[in-house]
Amino acid sequence: MRTFKTYDKGDVLPEDYKKALINLMCFQADSEYAGGQRVAENHRYATRPEEAYRLSKKVFEEMGHAFYVWNLLQELGVDVDARLHELSHNPENPDPRKVNVINGFRKENWSKFFECWEDVALFSTVVTPAAVAFLGQYRECSYLPWARVNVRIHKEEYGHLAFGVWASKRCIEFGGEKTREFMQQRIPKFMQMGLGFYGRPSAGGERSQMFDIYYEYGIKVKKPEELQTEYLELLDSRLKEIGLVMPAGVEADYDMRMGYEAEEPVGA
Amino acid sequence: MPGSPQQLIDGEITELKRFGYTPFGDAAPDWAGMWDLLRGDFATLQRTHVPAYAEMSPWPQEGARIYMRRRLLADRLFEECQELYRRLHGEGINTELVEAYSLARDAYEEAVLDFGKAREMLEGVFTRSVDVVSASRA
Repeated sequence: MRTFKTYDKGDVLPEDYKKALINLMCFQADSEYAGGQRVAENHRYATRPEEAYRLSKKVFEEMGHAFYVWNLLQELGVDVDARLHELSHNPENPDPRKVNVINGFRKENWSKFFECWEDVALFSTVVTPAAVAFLGQYRECSYLPWARVNVRIHKEEYGHLAFGVWASKRCIEFGGEKTREFMQQRIPKFMQMGLGFYGRPSAGGERSQMFDIYYEYGIKVKKPEELQTEYLELLDSRLKEIGLVMPAGVEADYDMRMGYEAEEPVGA
Repeated sequence: MPGSPQQLIDGEITELKRFGYTPFGDAAPDWAGMWDLLRGDFATLQRTHVPAYAEMSPWPQEGARIYMRRRLLADRLFEECQELYRRLHGEGINTELVEAYSLARDAYEEAVLDFGKAREMLEGVFTRSVDVVSASRA
């Protein structure tokens, strides 16, 4: 079990620690909000009433996750209302000098992934387990206010995964074997995004220098390899529940990820 | 294209209106009109024709009304979330509004899930009432 110094609300944070912490928290909050905007755009694919209402609930939840984290960032001296303004007024192309959004949640990248309701269902089934694993680690991080907020977020992310399983089952229930095969073929494109979610391996030539800093500070508490194991176990169990199969040989797409491992954090 | 916080809400409302979202107002519910937007969800390979509201006997009609009332309750809680979402954008992020929004979302979630349970209830009514008709014809 790793040990590291923890900090609570009001504690004085070492400057380098604070900088790294703010960078990751901004990345999470900005990306959650942008994620809510993208989910809202997918509403047009909803073919049934319950699907539409469940998706609108998800939009509000993603926004709520951003509000939780921004609220904490405000206490750390970040001008979060400026970030909210930028994202809400430039939903299709927010300025990367002002906010830090995961690449996969930028409109130009996101929209390529979605053509039908089955894609919406599969996103929550195949990519969300990566978010569950990745964000789940923050529940045990060294900044306790953020850890506590992520307990709440993690619970709702699990709910989003349950939504994906429910929606996928409904697709197959109404569309039969033809739809099951159609969905099976669409798993790899989402799995590439899911595998890239938690970053490059912690060892080797392409490893991230920023990861070492986050890990040392206990801001990130799990290595990408551990998160990958968690992700694949979760994904496999959910796909089996639906009657789908986890494809072999899918490679991670790290380009759909980020911004936030950049050597210089964006201005907070 | 420049956007605004309201744009997202307007988009959500437009999409939910496809399934009969009804903004809060004094008018009595238009059960027949609302049902026309929802009944497609009950079509199956075995039940290709889902009756219109006026065609239903009292048993499924009551089930349909309960199902639609659940949806109307979800609509009201959807509006609670909208209002707090607007205030967070207008007044800025603060703990009171963030936590109020969290409560509203939880309530909306429960209402949406209840709407789903009501769909299952009505599905059961349709199945049983068809069985009753089949048995009485036999």
